[in-house]
Amino acid sequence: MNEYQTSRVWFMRTCFIVLALVALFMHLLPLSTLPSAWAMPDLLVGFALAWSVRRPDYVPVFLLASMLLLSDLLLQRPPGLWALLILLCCENLKLRAHSLRAANFAVEWATVAALILGAMLGYRMILAVLLVERPSLGLHLIETTMTILSYPFIVFITHAFMGVRKTIPGDLDAPRGRL
Amino acid sequence: MANNLSNSQDYTGPLRRLLLVVVSLVLIAIFLVWRIDSPRVERFRAQVTDRIVPNFDWAMAPVTGTINLFRDYQSYQRIAEQNQELRRELRKMQSWKEAALQLEQENARLLDLNKVRLDPRLTFITGVVLADSGSPFRQSVLLNVGARDGLVDGWATMDGIGLVGRISGVAKNTSRVILLTDASSRIPAVIQPSGQRAIIAGDNSAAPPLDFIESPDLVRPGDRVVSSGDGGVFPAGLVIGQVAADPGGRLRVRLAADYERLKFLRVLRSYTTEPVTDAAHVLTPDLASNDTGVTTDE
Repeated sequence: MNEYQTSRVWFMRTCFIVLALVALFMHLLPLSTLPSAWAMPDLLVGFALAWSVRRPDYVPVFLLASMLLLSDLLLQRPPGLWALLILLCCENLKLRAHSLRAANFAVEWATVAALILGAMLGYRMILAVLLVERPSLGLHLIETTMTILSYPFIVFITHAFMGVRKTIPGDLDAPRGRL
Repeated sequence: MANNLSNSQDYTGPLRRLLLVVVSLVLIAIFLVWRIDSPRVERFRAQVTDRIVPNFDWAMAPVTGTINLFRDYQSYQRIAEQNQELRRELRKMQSWKEAALQLEQENARLLDLNKVRLDPRLTFITGVVLADSGSPFRQSVLLNVGARDGLVDGWATMDGIGLVGRISGVAKNTSRVILLTDASSRIPAVIQPSGQRAIIAGDNSAAPPLDFIESPDLVRPGDRVVSSGDGGVFPAGLVIGQVAADPGGRLRVRLAADYERLKFLRVLRSYTTEPVTDAAHVLTPDLASNDTGVTTDE
């Protein structure tokens, strides 16, 4: 890792913070105060997972945890639990990043969908065990489905506009090495 | 280079795992503390919100405005119809206005005769809605008035017409209003003209159901629902809405406040409310009544 790589990594980390704040901003916009029958996808979760698959070094544990905890606090969820589950999902993806790098997108999507679904079920189970009021099942399912469905778009945006791509061999070499 | 990379991963591997474990434990600890001592963590949440959300305000207003403009544009397309409709309604309103004016004069005369003075403590502070709850599972809004303006947990909040919710969570510059539609909102109300008492129990739908009505036969759709002031939660007599029956036959309240667009909210000052200080706990029969029960048995 040379100077260029390091500054690029830190730049992308800052980008992730900005991205998380933008996602929160979208959620908090007071567009309608009527209870709605559908739910927006959880954008932060989508981006966190997509970045974890592509460039684990852009989303270190501490950054992920603090952003997820912030979203728990701002979006009126029980603080800590959802953040923990998604953090574990992200770390799981980072471990598999090597194998997922070679696989095609369908495999990645299926893995991510399974993780999100698992996180949602775990979340509801833990809340039920601790006798915390759970969000309504229908809405929660809609939100989970929306998140899973929006994942390809999130990946597209990540890939096309933010330049967060899977590393290919030689990518981590210094740029002058290619000259 | 590849060799070098795997080396560096081996080196950082255990360290990263340790960091992950520590961070996870911290998150679990935060969650458990919240479960055990909710008010304290909720206060912390209110402070975090207070620090962050007002910073979004400069961007939120124009973005919300633009999106609403586009939405309104869709309604411009049927402007001719709407115009006709409004004219018809206006004609109807004219007669009502006449009646209202006469009533107002009569009311003023009667008040004068009675030398009634309205409760001077029932004044209000108006705040602007900064943000909504951000989650489809929670119905609340964030106001730009807070402890700085003297707000206290539990005060009633209205829009121009009807009751909207109650203050729950006050930070320095902001405060959260739990709306009547939130699943955790329970407000005692009285149904006029029958005088039946009921609890408005929010369930995350636009029209919250009425619970605990003693004799539902006396309640008809269209009856007025006002706050009852029971339990010292709210001042009595605030308009909440009208009774309506859903297709299942369940009685619900059609809220008078315009929930579609909550922008400016009035927070009513009232100093009768009991402060909420302790965590939620199970209500048990108090020991004094238990003791008397024992003595009568003996």
